[in-house]
Amino acid sequence: MSAFRHAVPAFAVLALAAALPAGAQTLRVALSSEPTSVDPHYHVLAPNNALAAHIYDALVDTDEAQRLVPALATSWKSDGANKWTFQLRKGVKFSNGKPFTAEDAIFTFCRVAKNETNIAGGNKDLIRGMKSIEAPDAHTLVVTTVEPEPLMPRLLAGIQILTSSIAAHGKITFSLDTNCGVTGPWPTVTQFNEGSVAIGTGPFKLKSYVRGSAIELVRNDDFWGEKSPWQAVKFVPVTNAGPRLAGLIAGDYDLIENPAARDLGRLKDDKRFAWVSTPSSRVIFFQLDVARSPSPFVADAKGENPLRDVRVRKAMSMAIDRDAIAKRIMDGAAQPAYQFLPTGMFGTLPNPPVIRFDPAAARKLMAEAGYANGFDLTITTTNDRYVNDSQIAQAVAGYLSQIGIRAKVDAMTRAIYFPRRAKREFSFSIGGWGSAEASNFMRYWAATLDAKKTHGTSNYGGLADPEFNDLISKALVTMDDEKRAELLRQAGAKLLDLHAFIPLHFENTIWAHRADLVVKGRTDQYTLAMSVAPAKK
Amino acid sequence: MTPVPVASGDDTALRRRVLRRIASRPTVKGALLVLAVLVAFALLAPFVAPQNPYDLTALNVMDNRLPPGEKGMAGFTFWLGSDAQGRDMLSAILYGLRTSLLVGLAATAGALVVGVTVGLTAAQFGGRVDATLMRVVDFILGFPAILVALVLLASIGRGVEKVILAIVVVQWANYARLMRAAALVERRKEYIEAAVNQGLPTAYIMRAHLLPNSIGSVLVVATVSIAGAITLEATLSFLGVGVPVTQPSLGLLIANGFEFLLSGEYWIPLFPGLALLALILSINVVGERLRRSFDAHRH
Repeated sequence: MSAFRHAVPAFAVLALAAALPAGAQTLRVALSSEPTSVDPHYHVLAPNNALAAHIYDALVDTDEAQRLVPALATSWKSDGANKWTFQLRKGVKFSNGKPFTAEDAIFTFCRVAKNETNIAGGNKDLIRGMKSIEAPDAHTLVVTTVEPEPLMPRLLAGIQILTSSIAAHGKITFSLDTNCGVTGPWPTVTQFNEGSVAIGTGPFKLKSYVRGSAIELVRNDDFWGEKSPWQAVKFVPVTNAGPRLAGLIAGDYDLIENPAARDLGRLKDDKRFAWVSTPSSRVIFFQLDVARSPSPFVADAKGENPLRDVRVRKAMSMAIDRDAIAKRIMDGAAQPAYQFLPTGMFGTLPNPPVIRFDPAAARKLMAEAGYANGFDLTITTTNDRYVNDSQIAQAVAGYLSQIGIRAKVDAMTRAIYFPRRAKREFSFSIGGWGSAEASNFMRYWAATLDAKKTHGTSNYGGLADPEFNDLISKALVTMDDEKRAELLRQAGAKLLDLHAFIPLHFENTIWAHRADLVVKGRTDQYTLAMSVAPAKK
Repeated sequence: MTPVPVASGDDTALRRRVLRRIASRPTVKGALLVLAVLVAFALLAPFVAPQNPYDLTALNVMDNRLPPGEKGMAGFTFWLGSDAQGRDMLSAILYGLRTSLLVGLAATAGALVVGVTVGLTAAQFGGRVDATLMRVVDFILGFPAILVALVLLASIGRGVEKVILAIVVVQWANYARLMRAAALVERRKEYIEAAVNQGLPTAYIMRAHLLPNSIGSVLVVATVSIAGAITLEATLSFLGVGVPVTQPSLGLLIANGFEFLLSGEYWIPLFPGLALLALILSINVVGERLRRSFDAHRH
C-alpha cells in the first residue's frame, strides 16, 4: 500500500512532465527559407533580418504591424530639415560584456559602408549618403544627411548594431576616408558565421550556425528588455512544406513557418495544433527588363527586346489571372495585388486601377504592338524562396503562352538566383518585397540607379522614367507627412502606368504551432522566437 | 531445370534457342508484355494522350488538382487526375515514359559506344595505353554516379540532351572495364593469334574478330543498365537538376507530387511512381533473365 501511495505522486509528476513540451525551455522552429548568414549586413533578406533580430538590436525596432518602437534608441526627433537626433539607451551591454555607446553605432555604420563581403549593396549607399554622424556624448547620436530624410528612423531600423570591440581601432569617428579610425581588418562574413564576432545586444546569443543543418541560439540573460521564456531556440531549415508539417505533427518542431495552405485541413481536427494566418505586406511580382536590347532571356524575331514596349508589358499583365493564381495555386492564402503595398498603408493609392484578366484584349494589344506572333521568353524564378514560387512562374508561363508568348521557366535555388539577378542576368524575373510604406519599393526597385542617393539599387530592369524619378525624388525629401503621401500616390500611379513590374499578389503568412503556444503573426513575415510564448494556463 | 544441350558451335542457333526459352517463362512473359505495352504507349503518346502536357497553352490552372475521373473545363475526363498546373496526369505519364525510355536507350547506347571503344583499345594495345585508360576508368568509378551527374548538370544546365550526356559520362566506365576483360580473354585465343600472324591490320582484327566475339556479355549487361539509366534520370529530375519544370519526366512528376502527400492528393505522385516502377521492373526482369541464361550457356 505504501508503495502505491508513493507511486501516485511519482506518476503525477511524470504525467505533468509529459504534458509539458519535451525540453520545455527549448523552442524548436522549422524554417521554410534558411538565413544565408549570421552577418546582419550580408544580405537584406527577410530570413537573414529575422535571424539578426534575435542576436542584435537596431536603434529602432518594428512591432508585429511594422510600427516603429524604441530599441537601442529610446527616442528620436528631426529638426524638420537634414538633422535627426537619437537618444541612446543607457546601461545596455553587448553579449561580450562591453557597454553599448554611440561609438558602437558609428562603428556599425562605417562597417556597413565599408562592407566588401555583402550581397546587392545592402544599406551601404544609405550610409555613404550621410553627411555626418556625430556623438556629442556617449548616448546621443546626431545624423546629418545631404538631403532631408523623413524616413531615417525606419531606415535605421534595418541596421543591426555591432560592437566596436570586434575590430582593432583608435578613436572612432564617421570619416570613411580615414577608415573611421579602425586600424585592424574589418570583420568578415565568415567570422560572423563561425560566431567569433556575432556579438550583439539582442535577446539571444548565437551558439552555433551550421549551414543547411541548424542554427542554435541561447538566451541572453543580460538582455536589456523583456527576457525570453525560452532558454534556447533551434532553427532547422526544412525547405519542403510537406516534411515541415509532418515534422510538426510528429513532434519534432514546436513551430513551423509557411505550411502549405492546402495541408491545413490536416490540422483542423487535431486539438494538439493550431495556426495563425496573417496578411503580409510582401508583394510578389515580376520585374521586366525594360531597357536593354538585346536582353539575355527575351527575343523577338529580330533578336530585339520586346519588353521595351509598354503595350507589350501591359498585355502581359492583362493576360495573367491573378484571382486564379491566388485561389488555385496559393489556396486562398494570398490577396491579388494591383499596387506594390496593400491598400491603406502609408502612401498607397486608395483605389488602384484593377487590371482585369482579359486575354482577348491582351492579344489585341500584342498585335497592335506588332507582336501578333509573340516572342521567346524565359521566366526565371527561385524554387525555394517565396510561397509556391516555381508553381507561380509556371502558371504565369501558361497564361503568357495564351497570348502567343513562347514562355519557358527556369527555376533555380535562391543561392544561385539572387547573385545572378544582382548581375542583371535575367529578363523577366520573380521578386518579392515587403515594406512598411510606399516609398520603399519605389526607391529601391523603380527609381533610376543613383548610388549616392541610394535610389534604384534593385532596379535590375533598368527602368528610367524622368517623370516618375522626379516624383519619387521629391517625395523622399518631403518632411511633411501629408505632402509626402500625396507625392507618393502620384509616383505610384505613374509607376503602375509604366507596367515595368507585374504585381501578382500579397502573400498571407501562416505559422502552424503546438496548441499550447501563443504565436503573434507579423506582417513582415519574420519568424521570431520573441513572438512565441507558452500559453498561460 | 533440364540440362540445356551444349552449344553446337552455331552461335545464332544457340542464341535463338536461349531467347525462346527465356520468353517461355511466365514472369518474363509478363514482363515482356508490360514492357511492350509501355513502349507502345510511349511511342503513340502524341496520338493517345488527351492533352499535350508540354504545351503550356493546353493547361488551365482552374483544372488543377482534380481527382481521378473528374471532368475538367477543357472538356475531357482526367482519368488519373491533374497536377498543380492543371496538367492531365495520364498524358504527363505517357509523355514522361517517352522521356524515360529515350534517356535510358540513348544514354546506354552512348555509354556503350564510348565504353566499348575504350575497353577494346585498352585490351588490344595493353601496356601504357591500357594503364592510362584504366586509371581514368578507376577515377570515374571512384565517385558515386549520382554525385558526378549532379555536379555536371549543375554546371551545364537542364535539358533532356544534357541529362543523357551526364549519364553517358557516369556509365561508360562500367562498359569499358567489362569490354576490356572480355576482350583480354578473347585475345589469348588461337584464331586471334592466327590473324595476327597473317599480318592482318590491327584495326581489322579489333573490328572483325575481337569486337563481335567479346561484346556479348557487355550487351547483356547493357539491357539491365537501361533500367539503371532510367532510374538515374528520374533521380536527377526528382532532385530538380534534370529536365525543365515545364516538361516533366516521371521523376519530376513524382517530385512535384510528393508535396501533396499530406493534403491527400495521392494521385499526383502515385501514378507516375507506379509507371516508373512498372517500367524499371519489367526491364530488370527481362535483362536479368537474359544475363543469367547467357552466363549459364557460356560456362
